Amino acid sequence: MVTVSHPRAEGGRLSGLLLVALPVVLLIWLVLWPVLQAFVGTLYFPGKGFSAASYVYFFSDAYSLRNLWLTLWVTALTSALRVAFAMPIAIYLRFRKGSIAAFVQSLALFPMFVPSVLVAYAFIRVLGPNGIIDTLLVAVHLPKLPSPYLAPAGPIIGLVWEGLPLTLLLLLSGLGRVSTASVEAARDLGAKGWTIFTRIILPRIQSSIIVALAFNVLGLFSAFTLPYLLGPASPEMMGPYMQRTFSDNADPLNATTQAVITFAFCAAFGVIYVRAIAKGRKGPA
Amino acid sequence: MAQVRLSGIAKTFGKVTALDAMDLVIDDGELVCLLGPSGSGKSTLLRIIGGFEMPSEGTIAIDGVDVTDLPPEQRPTAMVFQSHALWSHMTVFGNVAFGLKLRHLPKAEIRDRVERVLDLVGLSGYGARLPSQLSGGQQQRVALARSLVIEPKILLLDEPFASLDQHLRERLRDEVRDIQQRLGITAVFVTHGQDEALAISDRIVVLADGRMQQVGRPGEIYAEPKTAFVAGFIGAMNMLDGTLADGEILASGLRLPAEGSGLARLAIRPEDISLTEPEEGRTMTVRRMIDFGAHVVIDGKLADGTHLRIQTDKAIRVSQGEQIGICVESWTVFTDGDEPRRYRSDTVRSFRGARYA
Repeated sequence: MVTVSHPRAEGGRLSGLLLVALPVVLLIWLVLWPVLQAFVGTLYFPGKGFSAASYVYFFSDAYSLRNLWLTLWVTALTSALRVAFAMPIAIYLRFRKGSIAAFVQSLALFPMFVPSVLVAYAFIRVLGPNGIIDTLLVAVHLPKLPSPYLAPAGPIIGLVWEGLPLTLLLLLSGLGRVSTASVEAARDLGAKGWTIFTRIILPRIQSSIIVALAFNVLGLFSAFTLPYLLGPASPEMMGPYMQRTFSDNADPLNATTQAVITFAFCAAFGVIYVRAIAKGRKGPA
Repeated sequence: MAQVRLSGIAKTFGKVTALDAMDLVIDDGELVCLLGPSGSGKSTLLRIIGGFEMPSEGTIAIDGVDVTDLPPEQRPTAMVFQSHALWSHMTVFGNVAFGLKLRHLPKAEIRDRVERVLDLVGLSGYGARLPSQLSGGQQQRVALARSLVIEPKILLLDEPFASLDQHLRERLRDEVRDIQQRLGITAVFVTHGQDEALAISDRIVVLADGRMQQVGRPGEIYAEPKTAFVAGFIGAMNMLDGTLADGEILASGLRLPAEGSGLARLAIRPEDISLTEPEEGRTMTVRRMIDFGAHVVIDGKLADGTHLRIQTDKAIRVSQGEQIGICVESWTVFTDGDEPRRYRSDTVRSFRGARYA
């Protein structure tokens, strides 16, 4: 068999590899190497050998597990709420044109440009004790409502508001692949709103929903500012827990162990994200 | 019986008038083509019939029932879209069965009807395939089957073959015509291809700038265009600007008998010009000759440089730069505000008002 080399094709391959080389080097240097260092540092101790004691401690400590559980369910609920709130807005924006749609879009994307600290203090002023809502209720002689401030609902409300724009943009990009004609064809055959959503739209934006959920989970799992400012002191989410363990308790080993465990959960969603992207690149959803 | 009656249909988008007060009756079993250039309003009219657009004015009745305010899902119509609009996550069977499943028909009946309609469009055995595994022509057949399977009273086709190559387009349009005639279904077909319209229609509605220019049978529209636009749009036509005076029209140095006075447009079909010996006012210079096999088209220049096309016998051979004489056998003169006047060289008399047989 005769093999013919194609210098141009090889050149193209080389330039392609060069293009991805820098991000790959940065990824190894700034992410994978520290992770490996942290992982090894929590298991291997020079002069003492291997020990998984910090992991045993984490998974046997009721407080750590409560923190992990709080982080898990807050992340799950916030992600689901973000998709649930963003989906109708995305569908509206995809299939409607005009000035009202443009206004709704700017309103929905506005939180993207507001720093988390401002969101937290605005939240406290509105929903916190003696905030605007309380003041209004007192003004009309109604009892005060239990405030979500310093309760799990606090960071959930703040995080949903903060993450809505990114979720919306991801869903909108998925909906861009659903042609107007394919929806009209379903209507033409007798399908109504819910049927069109579940049978035509949803199957075609599955990968976008998975990507949106994965992005949300990655961000939420390690969220710090809003859980720190709005969330409960005990149990606490992994972000504030890590920070407090590291600086207040001066316990870098356990803080690093918490970080490795957090990374492991995020990496699992990272794999889901990469698989969804790979599936999306193979063909239409 | 499935008759569509459009009464005073108008559509405006903001300040733009897309359709202007249209009246049209489409009879049972008829295939009507809406023909016009881009932006003429043909797709808007089709979408209004299908319920995808609401008219700004006027009413639509199907079999005497006013459907003007009904959404698409409640109209007895089915649309075949230009882009196929197949659902890529469903198989061919899933696509075609979708409308039947929404009607909660028994599974056996759904299977039977889907198989029959796939057989009708020549796609038996393709049920398990995904749309991405089909060619463009096969995808359009699936789209047609999906619309036909729900047995609509009116079939609407929005430039269904626009994305296909010429050969496939011709084959599919013949198949669609066969199926439409076999089922006796009323159909409205949007196209900007005059050949397509002439080949498959019972009647053609020519649209321009949101207005109906002419409605008639293909031969009638070809032979007796009512406006200069229709004359220029349907089939090949030489359109020359001229002046009427002394029983003649003078256009680009060409003199032909015609009544009236003032500015006018002279329309001559390429096949209505034959070759003769050159003489004053009947001469043209050959630019090039195009041999189509079955006939020859000669592209030439008149005295003032205006182009003129002649379609003639395949045996004729002329060379570039050659002076040839032309004999116009029939022509039409359009003047603003008047009915067009048609003339033949053998009689040289106006036969305005004569009907196309």
